[in-house]
Amino acid sequence: MKRKVAALEKVDADLPNLQHKIRNDPISYKDDFANQYSQYSAILELFLQSPTATDDKGLIRLRDLIDFVSHVADCYPRLTGEFAKQLINLLQLHHATLESELRDKIVGSLVLLKKKDIIDSNTLLNTLWPLLVSTPSKSLRAILYTKIVAEMKSSNSKSTNHKLNRSMQTTCYNHIASDPASPKGLWSVKLTRELWKRQIWSDAKAVSIMEMASLSEDAKVVTGGVRFFLGGDQEREDADDESDNDENIDMRKLRHQAGINKKTGKRDRELKAAASKVKRKEKKKNAPHPLNFSALHLLNDPQGFAEKLFQRHLQPSQPKVRLNLEQKLFVLQLVSRLVGLHQLTLIQLYSYFLKFLTPKQPSVTSFLASLAQSTHSLVPPDVLEPLVQKIANEFVSEAAAAEVASAGLNGIREVCVRQPLAMNETLLQDLVMYRKSKDKGVQMAARGLLSLYREVGADMLRKRDRGKDAALGLRAGERQQAKFGEVQEGGIEGLDLLEKWKEEQGLESEEDEQKGWENWDAESDDSDDSGGWINVESDGEDIEISDSEDEKDSKEKKAKAKAAKEAAEVAEGKGTSLESEAAMKQEEARISKLATTRILTPADLAKLTELRQAAAVNSALPLAKRRKLAQAQTANNARHADDAVTADQIEGLANYGKKLTREERIAHAKNEGEDKNDHRSTTARRKEKKEAEGKSTTNKEKARKKNFLMTIGKAKRKGKRSLVEERRILKGHVARSKRGGRRGNIGQ
Amino acid sequence: MGSSAKRKKEKAKDFQKTKLKVGKARPKNTNATDTSFAAKSIVLKQQSLSEGGRDAAALFNHNLSLLGSKSDTQRKDSLSYLTTIVAASAENLTQPPAVILAKAQPLILDGSKSVREQALKLLRVLPTDQLGSLDQTLLYTRAGMAHLSNDIRLSSLDILDWLLTISPTASDVMSCPGGWVKTLRTFQNLLSWHAGIAPSAMNGKWSAAPKTTSSGPSSNNKLLVHQLTTLSKFLVAGLTQPPISPNAAQIRAAKLFPCCQTDVHLLSRKQKPFGYLNLFGAARDVESDAYEDADERVRVFVETGLKSSFDLGIAEAKREGGEVGRAACAVEKALKLATEVG
Repeated sequence: MKRKVAALEKVDADLPNLQHKIRNDPISYKDDFANQYSQYSAILELFLQSPTATDDKGLIRLRDLIDFVSHVADCYPRLTGEFAKQLINLLQLHHATLESELRDKIVGSLVLLKKKDIIDSNTLLNTLWPLLVSTPSKSLRAILYTKIVAEMKSSNSKSTNHKLNRSMQTTCYNHIASDPASPKGLWSVKLTRELWKRQIWSDAKAVSIMEMASLSEDAKVVTGGVRFFLGGDQEREDADDESDNDENIDMRKLRHQAGINKKTGKRDRELKAAASKVKRKEKKKNAPHPLNFSALHLLNDPQGFAEKLFQRHLQPSQPKVRLNLEQKLFVLQLVSRLVGLHQLTLIQLYSYFLKFLTPKQPSVTSFLASLAQSTHSLVPPDVLEPLVQKIANEFVSEAAAAEVASAGLNGIREVCVRQPLAMNETLLQDLVMYRKSKDKGVQMAARGLLSLYREVGADMLRKRDRGKDAALGLRAGERQQAKFGEVQEGGIEGLDLLEKWKEEQGLESEEDEQKGWENWDAESDDSDDSGGWINVESDGEDIEISDSEDEKDSKEKKAKAKAAKEAAEVAEGKGTSLESEAAMKQEEARISKLATTRILTPADLAKLTELRQAAAVNSALPLAKRRKLAQAQTANNARHADDAVTADQIEGLANYGKKLTREERIAHAKNEGEDKNDHRSTTARRKEKKEAEGKSTTNKEKARKKNFLMTIGKAKRKGKRSLVEERRILKGHVARSKRGGRRGNIGQ
Repeated sequence: MGSSAKRKKEKAKDFQKTKLKVGKARPKNTNATDTSFAAKSIVLKQQSLSEGGRDAAALFNHNLSLLGSKSDTQRKDSLSYLTTIVAASAENLTQPPAVILAKAQPLILDGSKSVREQALKLLRVLPTDQLGSLDQTLLYTRAGMAHLSNDIRLSSLDILDWLLTISPTASDVMSCPGGWVKTLRTFQNLLSWHAGIAPSAMNGKWSAAPKTTSSGPSSNNKLLVHQLTTLSKFLVAGLTQPPISPNAAQIRAAKLFPCCQTDVHLLSRKQKPFGYLNLFGAARDVESDAYEDADERVRVFVETGLKSSFDLGIAEAKREGGEVGRAACAVEKALKLATEVG
C-alpha cells in the first residue's frame, strides 16, 4: 500500500499528468489547480519585478505554468478570470525583452484561450496586430502574422464573420491612413493581399485599403498596393485552382485496395470518408461559380483614384515618394489599366508618355504596352496623334534595328486597335510599306497593321492595299469609318437567319416553343435546381446603379439614333425610291417582331449559332484556311477585355525572324530539351514515364517477370495433357478472349 | 522453413572466415559495439583545480555565482562554502547579505532536497539586520508552498518559519505587499478551508473528503501538521501588537529635550520609508496591499471572510485529534488574538 502511494505521488509531480487528470475530472482537482494557480501568480509577480533579470529556471517554470493554466483554464472560469488579461499585459509591456520561447508560448496560449472561447477573436486580434506592427523581432512577426491569418481564416470558415472582418479592415485602413509615410503599412498590405488570395476578403472595403496603400507615401507600401491591383486577382484564381488540384483521390484505386487489404473498421471508415470527400469536391465543381469581382471593378471612384495616382507618383518632378523606374512602371501600368478598363479621361497621361518613347529608354516596351492599354475609343484622336507620330519617327525607320521597328509597329497597332482615328493617311501608307521588309518580325507587324486597317479604315489605305473584301465593302458603302464617340447599335447577329429557318420548318406554334424549353431542362445539370440562387451581397450596389444608367443611356442613344436615321431618310427621301424604303421598313418590323414577341429558347440559341456559322462567308474557303481563321477567332476570344497588354505582346514576334541553329532545330523537333544526357533505351524511358504517371506494367510484362520456379509446375503438366483436355483449354481460351478476359469487359 | 536456400546461406555465413585484404582495415566484428558519440558541449565538473592563486573575496564571489550552476552537487558545495564563510565572519562580508539572499532565494524551489536544506542553513546564518526587502523571498516561499512536490512544500514552510523569526514581530514579512492576505490565501488553498462550500454539500451526491480530515499517508500528515503549526506562528505574528514599553516615549523625549516632535520630521528608519505610497509599482488591490499595522490586519482578516472560513476549518481539524488536533488548537489560540485585538 505504502509503495503504491509513493509511486502515485511521484507521478503527481508533473504538470502534464495533473492537466490530464483535471481534464477528466475538474471538480475533484480544484484544490490542486488552485495551488498551481497561486504558484503561477507568485512566479509571475517575481517575474514582473525583474522581467529582464530572471534566470533560466524561473523562465522555464513560468512557461510551464502558463502552458498548464491555459490548457485547463476553461474548467475554472472563475478562478482564472484574470489570466488572459495578465498574459495580454505581459506580452504588451515586455514583448521586446521577453525570452523568445516564453514569448512564443504566451502567443500560443492566447490563441489557445481563443480556441476555448475564453477570449473573443476581437481581443486576440487587437492584441496581436499592434505587436505585429511594433515588434523588432523577425521571428515574433512571422509567428504573429501566421496566427492572425489563421485566426481570420478559422473565424470565417463556417460563415463569413462580417463583424470581425469589418473591424480588422478598419484597423488596416486606419493603420495606413494615419501614418502614410511609415513603411509599417506594409503589414496591412500583406495581410489584405493574403486574405484576398484566400477569398476571405473579397469586398470593396479590402480594395479601399489597397487604394489607400497605393496612395501612401512609402515606396514599398505603394508598390505593394499597386501590385495587388495588377496581380491580386490572378493570384486568387491560381490559389483556387491549386486548392482544387491538391489531394486528388483516386477512388478506383482505393476501392481496389479495399478489396485486397484486410477489412477493418478503420479502413472502412477511411474509405467512406474518402468517398464523401470526392463527392463533396464533385459537388463543389458543379456548383455555380462564386461571384468574385476583380479588385479593379470594386474600386469606389476609379477616375479619382487614377488621377490621384498619376498626380502623386508620376507627374510631379519632385514627388513625395521616390520611386525607381520599375516601381514607376508598376504605377503607370495600374493607371493605364484603370484608364483603359473604365474608359476614363486623363488627358495629361498621354503627354506624360511622350518623353519616354525613345528606343534608348529602358524597358520601353512596357511603356508602349501601357500606352496601348490606356487608349480607348473615347480618347480624343488629336491627343494620340503626336504619340503615334513620335513612335513612328523614333522606332520605325530603315535605319533602326529590326526589333526596334517591329516593337514600334506593334505598339502603333495596339494603340490603333483601340482608337483607329489616331492614325493619319500618309503615315499609315508609309508604315504599311514595311510589309516588304526583309525582317520577318517587321514584316508581320506591318501586315498586322494592314489587316487592322482593312477592317476599320480601308479608305485610308492605298487602293491596291485594300484587299478584295474591303474594296467591295467600300464600293457598296457598307464599310464606313466609325466617327469619334460613335457607339454601335446593339442587335442579335443572325436573327433573320433563325426566323427564316423557322418559317421553312413551320415551327411557329406554342408547343414547339414548349419543347425547346423542355429540351433545355433535360440538358441542364441537376446541381442547378439544388443550387438555387446565388446571393449577391449588397456591396455591389454602386455597380448595379451604374449598370442601369448605362442601360438607360444606351436605350436613349438607340432611340436617338433611330430618330436621326429616320430624319435623314426623310430628308434624302427624294433620292431613294419609295418602294425600297417600304421594304426596308417591313424588314425592320419583322426582325423586331421576333426579338420582341418571344423569348428565345436555349434550343433557338443553339440553332442560331449553328446557322450563323453555316452562313459565314468563310464556309466557302478551303479547309486549311478556315481552320486558320477559326484559330485566330479563338485566340481573339481568349483575350478578355480585362486582361492587360503586356510588354511581351509589344516585343511580339521580333525574335521570330531569327534563324535557329541546326542543333536548336533538332532539339526543337525532338522536343526533349530537358535532359540531354539521358542515354537510356526508349523502352526504359517509356517505362519510367509510365511509372511516373502511376500506371502499372502490362500483363505480358508481368508474365515475363514471373519467377521461373512458380511457372515450372504448370510447364511440367502442360506436356502431359490429353487431347481432350487440350481441346477444352483451347476452346476456353478462345471464348475468354472473345469475352474480353476472365471478368469480361461488360461492366467497363 | 529452415530449409530454404537463403536460410542455409545465412547459417553458413557464421562459420566463414573473413577475408583479409592487403591495405584495407580489418572488417569490424558483427557484434562490435559502436562507442562513438556526438556531444554539443563537454561539461567539466571541476573547472579549475588550483585554488591557491585566488584571494578570499574572489573565491566568495565565484561561489556566489556558482549558485546558478547546473549541477546539484556544485550548488550544494558552494552553498556550504558560503555558509561556513558567513558563519565565521558575519561582520566583514565581501558582499552585503541582501545580495547573498537575492542569489540564494531561487534555491527555495530547487529540485534537490540537499540543496534546499543547505540553502536554509545559509539563510539561518545570515545576519538578520541587513537583509533588505523580503518580498521576493516571500514570493518564492509562497510559490514553494504551493509546489506540486511535497518535499518542496515542507522545506518552504521551514523557510517561512525562518522568515517569521527574523524580526521580533515579523514586521518585515507583514510589510511586504501582499504579505498578509496572499499568504493567508495560500494557506487557505493548501488546507482547502473554503467557507462557502461545506464538504457535504459540494456536488450533490459525491462528497470529497477535505484534506484536513483525511488520514492519509504519514508524509501527508506530517505536512499537514507542519502547515498548521506554521500557520499558527504566522497568525500570532500578524495579529499581535508590537510591545511598546511604557516609558519609551519619555526616554526619547528626554533625549531630544528642547525639541518636540522631532521624529515626525525625521526620515523614518524603516527599509522603504515611502514604500507604502507605491509610487512606482503596479496598482494594488486588497489582496496585494501591504498592511503595516496589526489593527488593520485584523480588520482585513475579518472583512475578507478569511476568519470565518478559518474558524470552520479549525473546527474540522480539531476533530481529527492527535498531532493534527494539537496543531489545530495552536491555530485556534492564534485566532482568538484576532477577536482580542479587534
